[in-house]
Amino acid sequence: MRALVLTAACMAAVLGLAGQTAAASAPNVAALEAKLAEYRQRVELLKDKDAVENLQAAYGFYVDKSLWGEVADLFADNGSFEYGQMGVYVGKAHIRRALLLFGKEGPEYGKLNNYMQLQSVIHVAPDGKTAKARWQSVVMLGRKDESGQWGLGVYENAYVKQGGVWKIAKLHYYVTGATDYDLGWTKSAIPMQGPSAAIPPDKPPTEVYRAYPGAYVPPFDYKHPVTGEPIDIPEPVDPIVGRK
Amino acid sequence: MRPALISLAIAAVLATPGLGLAASKGRAATDDSAALAAASAKLDALGKRIELLEDANQVEIVQRTYGYFVDKGQWTKLSQLFTEDATLEIGGRGVFVGRKRVLEYMQTAFGPDGPKPGSVINHMQFQPIADVDPDGLHAKQRMRAFVMSNGGWGIPLYENEYRKEDGVWKISKLRGPFTMYTSWEGWAKNAVPNTRPESFPPPPDLPPTVVYLTYPSYYIVPFHYPNPVTGKPWVPLTAEAGAQASPAQVSLGR
Repeated sequence: MRALVLTAACMAAVLGLAGQTAAASAPNVAALEAKLAEYRQRVELLKDKDAVENLQAAYGFYVDKSLWGEVADLFADNGSFEYGQMGVYVGKAHIRRALLLFGKEGPEYGKLNNYMQLQSVIHVAPDGKTAKARWQSVVMLGRKDESGQWGLGVYENAYVKQGGVWKIAKLHYYVTGATDYDLGWTKSAIPMQGPSAAIPPDKPPTEVYRAYPGAYVPPFDYKHPVTGEPIDIPEPVDPIVGRK
Repeated sequence: MRPALISLAIAAVLATPGLGLAASKGRAATDDSAALAAASAKLDALGKRIELLEDANQVEIVQRTYGYFVDKGQWTKLSQLFTEDATLEIGGRGVFVGRKRVLEYMQTAFGPDGPKPGSVINHMQFQPIADVDPDGLHAKQRMRAFVMSNGGWGIPLYENEYRKEDGVWKISKLRGPFTMYTSWEGWAKNAVPNTRPESFPPPPDLPPTVVYLTYPSYYIVPFHYPNPVTGKPWVPLTAEAGAQASPAQVSLGR
């Protein structure tokens, strides 16, 4: 949205240039051209960041209502989907089928399936063709008169711009914890599902880890915003998954 | 989607040889150089505005990263988000001065770096309102934290200040007054009182800038920005900080 405020200034600058003429010998025309090209690129990157933010928000809104077809269409043709320990599904068709593991297509009476898409840290590559983002998800799952769950997780996703359209290239949702609504974290830790036998993934999980009560840290795709160093965090010891 | 017009317009200009500044017969050179100077000034103003947008995005990233670090107890990395002379004031604990004290506060209060198995302390950062000063070197941001932990729920606010040093945005002043903390029982049944300077070590360098009570009482940390529609600045309420929500209840402090 912030890019909107640029419109007036940008148009003014452009019209100002277009409406004027200059001597062919003027030495700084090339400099102005270079500057304008750089600004154009930076505005493009701001727009790209907004587009990626909207894309992932759209993903969340579709997931909320189990609109699996809409969800799958957000992916690039060779895009991948990985959820917790369920393994990696590749390609739109297989992703759409995998989503049936989260219930049938479309909303159901008595089903709550909210995956909120929050706290985004989006970095668009300087060439404007790819992007990566980290997201926090607060999850509310429920079946009326059966169960209610709180969930937490982190997305580390990759995006690609194809034909001017941003698509999800890689979605990796790290489930970090789930608990029963009534019991809470001190009394309830709901484990993750493993790979499905009914709709098997194309590849096993890229990383074996345990959600809460494990203390796994989903890796950061970006560098520390102040020190510029990679955010390398040693994973805590977890004998259950064999992590020393 | 209107920003799309920007690049279309720029593209049109770029496609024109010499930026559309090609020589026009009969034009005086002085006019041309004046036009170039004017165009250059407009471009510089545009560049400044682009940079302010990038700055606001980066200030959001710094604060969101602060949240991700709290989630996993990354106190050293968290302290590196602050300026050398930064101050930190959280809840009712008072003011800690300097980056080193920020680190000491976190490690003394919450333990050494690293996530602890069996512990959830998500300190999520939502709803940012980031405003960068026209100088492009200072910024303010209001943010809501949403805490989900073993202990229960929390709703702190942040009204922070940021400074750009050598092109890098850092937190220069962190102020995080609490709205509400409660156990897993929920806020209808339980309200955890605000923290105090002596609640847990280490002791602060300075006393709290304001003494207030949390839910079921209220305190409004001043908005750094005016009402976005009327443009009128926020006038703090005249009631003393920590006043009870119900006038029938006894207010504190006087």
